[in-house]
Amino acid sequence: MSLRALFVRVISQPRSWMRAALGRERLETEMDAELASHLEQLIGDLVRAGHSPAEAARRARVAMGPMLVHKEEMRASLGLKWWDELGADLKYGLRILRKSPGFTAIAAGSLALAIGANTAIFSIAKSLLYDRLGVPHPEQLRLLSWHGDGNQAVHGMWGDFDDAPEGGMVSNIFSYPVYLDLRAQNRSLQDLFAFKNDGMNATVAGQAQRVQTEMVSGNYYAGLGVRSQLGRAIQPSDETEYGAGTVAVISDGLWERAYGRSPAVLGQTITLNQSVMTIVGVNPRGFTGAKGVQVSPEVFVPITMLPVIDPKGDKSLLEDPDTWWVNIMARAKPGVDDTQAQAVLSSQLEADVRATMQVKPGETMPHLVLSDGSRGLHAAEGMFKKPVAVLMALTGFVLLLACANIANLLLARGARRQREMSVRLALGAGRVRVLRQLLTESLLLAGIGGLGGLLLGYAGRNLLPALMSNGWERNEFNVHFDWGIFAFAASVTLVTGLLFGLAPAWLAARAEVSSSLKEAAQTTTRRRRGVAGKFLVAFQIALSTLLVVGAGLFLRTVFSLNSIDLGFRADHLLLFEVHPPARRYAGGKDVELDARLEEGFAAIPGVEAVTAATTPYIAETMGNDFFLPEGEKQDDQKDQAEFFNVVGNGFFNTMGIPMVAGRPFGVEDAATSQKVIVINQSLARKRFPNENPIGKMVKIGFGEENQARIVGICRDTLYASLREPAPPQFFAPYRQQKHVGGITFMIRTRLASARLVASFRDVVQKQDRDLPIINIRTQQEQIDATMQQERMFAALTTGFGVLALALACVGIYGIMAYSVANRTNEIGIRLALGAQPGQVRRMILRESGWLASAGVVVGVAAALALTRLVKSMLYGVQPWDPATLVAGGLLLLAVALAASWIPARRAAGVQPMDALRHE
Amino acid sequence: MAPDKQQDLLQGTLDLLILKAVSLGPLHGYGVLLRIQQISGEELVIQQGSLYPALYRLEHRGAITSEWGESENNRRAKYYSLTDLGRARLGEETERWNRMSGIINGILSATP
Repeated sequence: MSLRALFVRVISQPRSWMRAALGRERLETEMDAELASHLEQLIGDLVRAGHSPAEAARRARVAMGPMLVHKEEMRASLGLKWWDELGADLKYGLRILRKSPGFTAIAAGSLALAIGANTAIFSIAKSLLYDRLGVPHPEQLRLLSWHGDGNQAVHGMWGDFDDAPEGGMVSNIFSYPVYLDLRAQNRSLQDLFAFKNDGMNATVAGQAQRVQTEMVSGNYYAGLGVRSQLGRAIQPSDETEYGAGTVAVISDGLWERAYGRSPAVLGQTITLNQSVMTIVGVNPRGFTGAKGVQVSPEVFVPITMLPVIDPKGDKSLLEDPDTWWVNIMARAKPGVDDTQAQAVLSSQLEADVRATMQVKPGETMPHLVLSDGSRGLHAAEGMFKKPVAVLMALTGFVLLLACANIANLLLARGARRQREMSVRLALGAGRVRVLRQLLTESLLLAGIGGLGGLLLGYAGRNLLPALMSNGWERNEFNVHFDWGIFAFAASVTLVTGLLFGLAPAWLAARAEVSSSLKEAAQTTTRRRRGVAGKFLVAFQIALSTLLVVGAGLFLRTVFSLNSIDLGFRADHLLLFEVHPPARRYAGGKDVELDARLEEGFAAIPGVEAVTAATTPYIAETMGNDFFLPEGEKQDDQKDQAEFFNVVGNGFFNTMGIPMVAGRPFGVEDAATSQKVIVINQSLARKRFPNENPIGKMVKIGFGEENQARIVGICRDTLYASLREPAPPQFFAPYRQQKHVGGITFMIRTRLASARLVASFRDVVQKQDRDLPIINIRTQQEQIDATMQQERMFAALTTGFGVLALALACVGIYGIMAYSVANRTNEIGIRLALGAQPGQVRRMILRESGWLASAGVVVGVAAALALTRLVKSMLYGVQPWDPATLVAGGLLLLAVALAASWIPARRAAGVQPMDALRHE
Repeated sequence: MAPDKQQDLLQGTLDLLILKAVSLGPLHGYGVLLRIQQISGEELVIQQGSLYPALYRLEHRGAITSEWGESENNRRAKYYSLTDLGRARLGEETERWNRMSGIINGILSATP
């Protein structure tokens, strides 16, 4: 029986309800027909019993009772009453919302903004900090890294290393011989696999371009548990010997972009740094390699191809024990815990280092550290942790602000509608019914806001990453829309809305009908709400002050960075890079290529001047080398390296860097003539105090003899970053170097880059069909890119600050207007007793002034406490900058007074007689 | 049919009476009313209109089912009949009623 009852409850009853709710018209006709037929039969029986037809009809009607009530009860029997009331509530709610479009727009808008911004930013934060690799069971992955005390035997490194929080350094790169040994001895983890990411020149489907490549060991795919979606993955048989395995697996993105997802891609070839590789497979969508989810390597090749396609130096990296570069991962072995595995691997690492390298006395051994590999190399974590934390705090404030705003709006409205509620109650509405009506309205508002938030969040999740990356490097940033986060942000704001929408309703429903319809009782309830409302407005003002001060600091930072003297002319300067592959351009051929390219570019109409440099300015890249003026000995205790730049002969002229003494480079400085260098003023001061450096010989570099003569001194320029003062630098002409490698060309032109790129490409392709030109940008874009974070924060804090101001404005206007309306009586009496309108106006303004001041004081205090945390992100301005704090506070006060001006004027304009008659 | 003659129905008994009436064969609403009055020897008078919410409630809960058909005088009428579930429920309710009235009878017939 109970099973049957359950069946009825779960299946039959809802079905009956659905039938009734959906076939509403049919139900109504049937009800009418049934009652009519009943009435008819009753009348018939009464007539047969001897009544006249008229009398029979009358009696039958009396016996039937009120039809409408019966029908209502019949509907209730089917569970339709609730449904009908909901429809009525919704209709009424919509009408109320439409009646006050301003209220609706502000409430729904702030809800949408809070939900949208929070969803977008938390999604990004989550993706940056917590997203796991797109492989099965990423939690089993372990990343091998090591900790050194600073004197470790490891010197040559190509990859990431960082200062360890406990001192010394940590890194996740190993030498290839150490990897092979570790892998052979490993019993504590599942099979170790290796990978390395690097950028390479590729010709894909006839187009030369720069691609991100992941070089992987043969067991990499098996280790990660990833299968190709087309063709095959890289397998152990691809890495039988060094230089073997000319196969490539491409990413889903490249397959789509370059091959239109055609299965015919298998067997096609791509040129990777001049080596021809055959495509054998396509990675599954969503697989971004082992490095992390924020990168998107497009080509995966066997790591044994490295000496062929990506030679670094003379020695093959696969055999070089001194250069540490390869990343290693493995899956945990069931039953072996991490500390155990780490201890075993660490002793193996020590043995392998001793076996493969020559360890000098005093050098220490690196200790192996086993860490979570589920997020790849964690590279994004260090880079983005701080800005993401600040962003999250900012949006958290916006969320609070929106909640306060909604609470304030709803409280005010609830109080205004108290009379309406009393009337409803007086007319016989149930309390629950009235509460339900208000709940429906709040939910409706919340629903509109939530929908807006969903749209905003969905659109915004890709907007911020775009702001955080520069325009010329393709970065497929993988941010997924996170429903969990959306649900969180939505529920926080919705709960606020419901809470504050229902609180006044609850009070109204509890109030005695007669008492709240009376005037006297009204003021007591309104006073109470006045306190809550004022507190909320003060809180809004405090938050707004905080956001406005933050905006001020970031704006000043951007302004300071923009007004820095670079030391060179950044306007009308176009930059792009060419990376001649080392194998094809060995033995100085790259220098000849650069010279030919420079000539070619100079011949393009519209190009005013051309030069080249190995280190573009303000690009966070740097190079240094030993700089030993004649007579100075090499000394291990002293830091004798200086920043340098290898440049074209027209560098100083093209960049607009004036010479202070001597001469710049010229045509006379050819490959075969006396080697020359130019130094800047700082270097002259640092290394040649009290003497004239011009004409002095300097030994450059380490090991090989490379003497050069100083021929000039130029003015100081900034180097890698806007935030660092101009460092000492020296310059050498590239034409006198044996090998240059990747180089950045600098073109001074008044034409837009888009009009010239094709000509630049032609010039390069004429020399080498497979050589792409990459990273085309203006010097100004390059500078802006290094300020991206600052600019993003300036834009966001300004946007949020303006929003906060607007919301505070609405809040303070609302509360003052309300207060004035409530006190019309009192104001009338004051005016009747002889108060001047000016006095009344001042009284109102004073009230809002106090309110605003309280908020501003709290806000400034909070700003003082919090802005210290972003000190490292500011430039040219202190976190406690008095000007910004004072300006922010005054702005808020001014806005508050302006917002209360209208209510104040209204108060001053009250006619005593009207006011006294008013209530 | 004067109101003073009418016996008040105990709350919840209307459902039981309807189930019983319908268990004897399919009936339309007016028929249910007549049958109850007839069986009770015209002692029980049910307020005509209140019958229908009870019928709808029982149908909603699956105890009875309805079908449109022809009435005795060739009019369209909605006929209610008992479902298996309704039959089970009738048995149950009857048993409960009997137990209850037995207990109450026992109490009322107690002598000091």
